[in-house]
Amino acid sequence: MLVYVIRRIVFGAAVLLGTSLITFVIAFVIPADPAVAVAGAKADPATLAAIRTELGLDQPLYIQYARYVDRAVHGDLGRSYIRREEVAGLIVSRFPATAILALAAMALSLVLGIPMGMLAAAYRERAPDNLLLVLSLGLVSIPVFWLGTILLIVGGLYLHWFPLGGFDGPKSLVLPTITLALGSAGYYSRILQTNLADAMDQEYVRTARGKGLSLRAAMFKHAMANAMLPLVTLAGLDFAGLLSGVVLTETVFNWPGLGRLAFEAVFNLDIPLVMGTVLFSAALVVIANLVVDLLYAWLDPRIRLGQQV
Amino acid sequence: MKFRLNAMETIGALMVLSLAVVAILAPWLAPYDPTRAVASTFGDPAAPSRMYPLGTDQLGRDVLSRIIFGARISLTVGVAAMAVTMTIGVTIGLTAGFFGGTIDFALMRFTDVMLTLPALLLAMAFVAVLQPSILSILLVIGLVSWTQIARVVRAEALSMTQRDFVVAARALGAPSARLIVRHVMPNVMPIIVVMAVLGTSGTLLLDAGLSFLTLGVPPPTPSWGRMIEEATTYFRVAPWLAIFPGLAIFYAVLGFNLLGYGFLRRRARAGVGL
Amino acid sequence: MNTHPRRHTQSSQGRAISAYAAAIRCCGVALAFIAALVALPGCRSGAPPLRFPPGAMVLKLAASTDVPTLDPAAGYDVDSWMFEQMIFDTLIRYSDAGVDLVPDLATTWESSADSTVFTFHLRHDARFTNGRIVTSADFKYALERVLDPATRSKGMEYYREIAGAEDFVAHRTKSVAGIETPDAWTIAFHLIAPDPIFLQKLAMPFAAAVPREVVEKWGEDFSRHVVGSGPFMLKQWIGGQRIVVVKNSGYFIKGVPHLDAVVQAIGVSEDLQWFKFEAGEIDVSNIPPAVFPYVMKTPRLRDLTLRIVTVTTRYMGMNCQMPPFTDERVRRALNYAVNKSKLIAVLNGRGIVANGVMPPGLPGYDPNLPGYPYDPARARKLLEEAGLVHGFEATLWMPADQTMMILGQSIQQDLELVGVHLRLKAVAFGPFLEAVRQPLTVPLFFMGWEADFPDPANFLDVLLSRQQWGGNNDTFFSDPRVEALLAEAAPLSDLARRYAIYREAERIIVSDAPWVFLYYPITYEIQQPWVHGYVLNPMRPARLEKVWLSPHPTS
Repeated sequence: MLVYVIRRIVFGAAVLLGTSLITFVIAFVIPADPAVAVAGAKADPATLAAIRTELGLDQPLYIQYARYVDRAVHGDLGRSYIRREEVAGLIVSRFPATAILALAAMALSLVLGIPMGMLAAAYRERAPDNLLLVLSLGLVSIPVFWLGTILLIVGGLYLHWFPLGGFDGPKSLVLPTITLALGSAGYYSRILQTNLADAMDQEYVRTARGKGLSLRAAMFKHAMANAMLPLVTLAGLDFAGLLSGVVLTETVFNWPGLGRLAFEAVFNLDIPLVMGTVLFSAALVVIANLVVDLLYAWLDPRIRLGQQV
Repeated sequence: MKFRLNAMETIGALMVLSLAVVAILAPWLAPYDPTRAVASTFGDPAAPSRMYPLGTDQLGRDVLSRIIFGARISLTVGVAAMAVTMTIGVTIGLTAGFFGGTIDFALMRFTDVMLTLPALLLAMAFVAVLQPSILSILLVIGLVSWTQIARVVRAEALSMTQRDFVVAARALGAPSARLIVRHVMPNVMPIIVVMAVLGTSGTLLLDAGLSFLTLGVPPPTPSWGRMIEEATTYFRVAPWLAIFPGLAIFYAVLGFNLLGYGFLRRRARAGVGL
Repeated sequence: MNTHPRRHTQSSQGRAISAYAAAIRCCGVALAFIAALVALPGCRSGAPPLRFPPGAMVLKLAASTDVPTLDPAAGYDVDSWMFEQMIFDTLIRYSDAGVDLVPDLATTWESSADSTVFTFHLRHDARFTNGRIVTSADFKYALERVLDPATRSKGMEYYREIAGAEDFVAHRTKSVAGIETPDAWTIAFHLIAPDPIFLQKLAMPFAAAVPREVVEKWGEDFSRHVVGSGPFMLKQWIGGQRIVVVKNSGYFIKGVPHLDAVVQAIGVSEDLQWFKFEAGEIDVSNIPPAVFPYVMKTPRLRDLTLRIVTVTTRYMGMNCQMPPFTDERVRRALNYAVNKSKLIAVLNGRGIVANGVMPPGLPGYDPNLPGYPYDPARARKLLEEAGLVHGFEATLWMPADQTMMILGQSIQQDLELVGVHLRLKAVAFGPFLEAVRQPLTVPLFFMGWEADFPDPANFLDVLLSRQQWGGNNDTFFSDPRVEALLAEAAPLSDLARRYAIYREAERIIVSDAPWVFLYYPITYEIQQPWVHGYVLNPMRPARLEKVWLSPHPTS
């Protein structure tokens, strides 16, 4: 088990390193001269040269990369070109808004999606299942930004129930959460339905039911455990994605999160900020994967007992 | 072979087909040129009327024509991007699954790395570097979407490769290419088809999202996502400008989803695992 | 979004029956993980809530982008200047509603007859908000800071004509000899050549007094910790979220400002601003183009609007060094091909078709310039003459902005009719400015220029002279006749003659057509009925000292 854990952690770190390499390569392909970005367009060549040396831009790429990784590990992700603030600080300041939205959206999508999935599995292949399937597919097909815009206008302007965007107390959380959660709810309900129906089809469950076990007991005591795990896995990974920020929703609702920060960074060709946000979100995904893998290890006795999977 | 489609598949297929027809026949179906100003409603969009069934936008362009031509872009980008995704993903998946060992390890780690990179951001970064055009957009979308299919195909290829007859054939010296094509591919095909169909709904949404962020196909080519972006400021006075393109995206995505899920259902009912 | 569930190769038979309990456990772990993540950076509901004492008069505003900087030496845009003029004082400034000069921190001043020496007398009772009295040394320090290459100030060019400035810039001297401070209340500027508009240059926020000790303490971060002597002082600036300034009770003019604070929410798109205005959440707002016709048709709203023709010209610049724009005929053809009235219509009438470089409201404006009428046939003929009968392709660069995009598409439509295929390229504003200054990079671009001071030199010299290649002359235009005229006009204090020569230069420029002259924007803002004393200025952001609010429901 320990071996497994260590292996997974090492893999995770390696993946993160790989991600940082790719990010680094991309960042330097982006057409923006860092020295000019810092000094301004009218700076004379001498100033630009001085800044290049200071930023280490005259070193070969692999040395620049090494220096970047070294600093990143110590928490220094550089300074944003446009905003002149530290990247790490910017990310940390925007993270809470993203985290809260992510939590709320994930919670809502599970609260909606799990019962839908259970219902659909219970009435499998019959009218409720079909209806729920169509509903789920509908939810999944709605473009998030369109839904958000309509909710914002109707809820905020016509009905005056909610504030018009921005992060300003719990009421402002409602609309973006709904926007994000509906699609996921539909998706999760289908995952759950499929897995639940499969699980209830297993021999031992059918046998138990044949012996008189009620549908509800069958579902809860036997099938749910097996069915929930894939869902939780998926939700965990999705959650990592949510924590990295959702650009479209944040744009529509003017939510001060990481997604918009990253978008503005790319748009402004603000390389240190781009690299910082990408690395951060990659780190979240890696950590989420790690957590999921560790959970599997914990739950699956084969791994715990040290056998090869 | 019996080929009965269920209701969902049929509806989905019809929706996708109608979309394709509209896209192909756009120049004949659209009443006006989608990029020219055909009404003098500059800065003052007009509501749907008999002459302009879906109204006109703030540059005097006919919304219906723009939606029809928008189908062209959406479908082209969506399908072509999916083709790119499939090509990359299937190749990597098959290679990794079939050859196993270090090749598999290397490819899967590479896939892991790609998975950690946020897709939309990556797409934006690419667009910042390349000149946005239909070709570059679909390439970009294709490049950020292949990781899932790669993993799934790899899993199937892995399990096929471990079957006795394949192992035997390899031991006997059968060329890998032939084995892949004759034995692995046919079993992987259903998954590929389903994922291609379902994946197209994903690429469509990604394209619409990119356009909404004004990073998609550049004007004057009409693009549904961009139409919504241009319409947000007019929502109060001209809500139809934003509603119709949104409905169009919804229709297209739903069509592919119905088709894909319907197919899944049929196979599930027939007891055939994927 | 994922479209297919991740398949698991592990069979479900391996699970223990207590797997359900395990699932609960894992949910618990996940929740703990999440809670830790959120608790880590400190979980607060957005920005910490603002609290003002009851009855406080707070002006609420909103903007879509963050203020770039509050450092007077660095800021060169409308957003920065709006706050800088609240926090800092200059020697002289413009009146509330016009372009005439009035005292700010200087009470009186004299200019020598030949416009080379300017002397100012300061008031004795102005204090920085850290308590210290403002003296002439503070102004000298501020200008030397602007001239110092290390500050990278965008205003450096305006003060190089001070005697000794060049030596200072080249690090040959430690201070600028031409700025004399014989005593704490007197400051005199000696120029190397006559310049009648030097006074206007001192009215720009670049020349505001800054406290040396604060600048040296904060260095690069001075912008976030500004200390000035103006009517307001910085209370809070949460990047990307909001900026708050409060009344400076030590301001040297008693009784102002009336407001206790000004709060500007940041990151609020134009549409959202309008919605918030309708809801009473902000007090003054722009009017998005979509809503404009509706506002004008509604008497209740129309009465609340404020209108001013800003001293601004919007144009489409053509890089005279990049083909096909090297050919004068092509540039003129584009001027005939663009339907400028259509642009105004798309803007709902919020502009006047531009016939030249200088906008109305700028002293020296020529109302008799004929300009280029809309004539696509003539455009095609000119293109034919230039050998481009089949048209050509070009990329139009513009700062990323919804309105610009729409205008771009309108122009795209027009040019398509004469065979010119435009590609539209929206770029973030920072990189856009950078790119446009590089030679041979941007062939065609949208640009606007708002007057910094009321004189033709601010347009003609700054935007179209040879000296400004790589500076603000982004079309890399140069015409020796124009150069000669500009040099002739610069030192003239006889305004009639000065403007006459500048007009002649403008006529030549219009004929050479380095720009497609688009329009002069008309600014409309709307204020709540409880806002009083808010006045628009044609050349500067509105000053807020005299604004006051009557009690209202959303205080």
